[in-house]
Amino acid sequence: MVRKKLDRKEVAAAAGCILLAVATLTFHIWHQAAVIQIGFQTSRLEERINALQKDIKKLEMNRAALLAPERVDRIAREELRLVEPQPEQIIYEDIHPAGDHE
Amino acid sequence: MNDLGPSYQRRVQKRTIILAFIFFLWFFILTLRLIQLQVIDHRRLHEAVTRQSQDERPIIPERGTIFDRYGQILARSLPAPVVCLIPGDDDPAAELFARVGRLKNLLNLSEKDLQKIRSRIDNRETYIYIKRKINWDQADRISQLNLKNVFVQQENRRFYPLNSLAAHVLGGVNIDQEGQSGVELQYNTRLEGVKGQSLILKDAKKRRYDWEILKEPEPGQDLILTLDATIQYIAERELEKAVREHEANWGTVMISHPASGEILAMASFPTYDPSDYPPSPLEVAHNRAIQENFEPGSMFKIVTAAAARETGVVGFNELFDCSEGKIRVAGWTINDHEKMGVLTFSGVIIHSSNVGTIKVGQKIGQDNLYRMIQNFRFGQKTGLDLPGEENGILHPLAKWSRTSIAAHSIGYEISVTGAQILQAMNILANRGVLIPFRIAGTSLDPTGFSPETLAAGSRIISEKTASELISRVFEGVVTEGTGQSARIDGFSAAGKTGTARKLDPDLGVYLASRHVASFVGFVPAGRPVLSMVVVLDEPKFSLQYGGQVAAPVFREVARRVLLYLRQAPQFVPNEKAVTAQLRSQDRP
Repeated sequence: MVRKKLDRKEVAAAAGCILLAVATLTFHIWHQAAVIQIGFQTSRLEERINALQKDIKKLEMNRAALLAPERVDRIAREELRLVEPQPEQIIYEDIHPAGDHE
Repeated sequence: MNDLGPSYQRRVQKRTIILAFIFFLWFFILTLRLIQLQVIDHRRLHEAVTRQSQDERPIIPERGTIFDRYGQILARSLPAPVVCLIPGDDDPAAELFARVGRLKNLLNLSEKDLQKIRSRIDNRETYIYIKRKINWDQADRISQLNLKNVFVQQENRRFYPLNSLAAHVLGGVNIDQEGQSGVELQYNTRLEGVKGQSLILKDAKKRRYDWEILKEPEPGQDLILTLDATIQYIAERELEKAVREHEANWGTVMISHPASGEILAMASFPTYDPSDYPPSPLEVAHNRAIQENFEPGSMFKIVTAAAARETGVVGFNELFDCSEGKIRVAGWTINDHEKMGVLTFSGVIIHSSNVGTIKVGQKIGQDNLYRMIQNFRFGQKTGLDLPGEENGILHPLAKWSRTSIAAHSIGYEISVTGAQILQAMNILANRGVLIPFRIAGTSLDPTGFSPETLAAGSRIISEKTASELISRVFEGVVTEGTGQSARIDGFSAAGKTGTARKLDPDLGVYLASRHVASFVGFVPAGRPVLSMVVVLDEPKFSLQYGGQVAAPVFREVARRVLLYLRQAPQFVPNEKAVTAQLRSQDRP
């Protein structure tokens, strides 16, 4: 048997191809893993956003209930002992008079 | 091999044939059975398997929020806990019911509730609500009990943070969040969105192991109303005070911005909390401003006056003899509330003389009067975007009797709603132009505001007629006539009082002791910022006239609303000391 001597260039080319293939596969797997990881993170963040949006809505409702005219009126009268001013006690500043006859 | 004789070979051959035949028969039977299962009974069995292993459930989208004109939340849906029972196939009904029984006190379940749940368990239903309106504390306590088959889940529930404010406008929803009345019903399609569909996969024991969304739900759109929560509150507060003070059956106040037709407030009393819809009795959910017909009495003289001036049959200074204080029409005697002597046309309306107005009506004639009533849109809905609006009652001209001109001239033989009479007054306020009412502003979607175009106005009477009637008649009602209690310091106002006797349906006569007291007007008279109608049904005690009962409500509400709207007086009411100031930058 005659053993054929391998050309160095061919060996280098083959090794390069193998390396490229391995690198490509490694990159692909890393990319897939990264995408999945980001997907998980996105999903978690979306859940968090949804939860926060629900919290915001609840807080807005609480704010609306706290600013209810009936409640504000009651606190002003009963707790702060405020009374309505008489018409002659009111000064109008920077306000144009209401419309008169055209 | 040769040692085995031919008989042995035949025996083997025979056995092979028998075995082959048995296999063939088995295979044939198997094939037949497969054909039966896969072809003949395919549909029935497929349905059975699907029913056993899959469950399609609708996904209820989040219902849109309702805001007032400044973005104050009036109604919003939020997730809320619900407790349910999900029985397995092999769970005995008695055990399931015993578990529900342990929640009786915690959830305040009545015997009726328990009976319903029991019958649903007996019917082997796969998903049973134990109670839907529970709070988070109850939900936590149930979760801690860790009862088998009992689950705390979430569903959206409607909340009204301002309690009963604007209840009659908002209406209410049922437990499935479907609009039942008010704007919740009127705009239900827009608010509710589009339901989605989910597929729940279950194992042989009906335990859920996976689920997927077949169709994503589309959330409902938000709705912005023209209402102003503060003005609504002022109206409701003053109305409630008046109804209680005069022990009226019911009352209503409706406030609009005449130039745009926008409703700023619509209040009815008695009222209810929309969170507990339907209210008990259901009658309190009646929106009196649009769903209550009543004879308007003298408020209707605005139409008679408009007809008189528009047709030109009566001059402002034309005199009418009202000195007798009564007039006989086709056998009926109609009285004034006092003898008034000889009055000009303006004086007749300003002092609300029935005798004088009937004489004016007779000069107008029934054709002209009927045409004007129709032009003012009586007998038909105002077109306000709320459900259940009444038409009022306007009898066709062919059915008018000999008393009809007289009766219609002073607001009898015709029934109207508060909204219709306010619309009529708005025609004067807008100098003869009818601007349709509206209560829903714009819908807010993720892309932003999408303003709806305003409906164009239509001219009903000439600008000259309207302007003259305001300055020469209806301002006079407030300054020197029956509506003096509506006068607001510093502002010119125009309006008309109404005091209508109520008809006893059994006796067929008008009762002197039962009235509908009302006032309709606008302020300032020149360029109105707001118009308002106030109606009180059967006020008790000695004060029963519209000028005594309804006009003060108009004054108080208008005074507060003008202050809230930063409207400075047109003229100085008096020149006493000033100690407070109002900052324009505080405007909400």
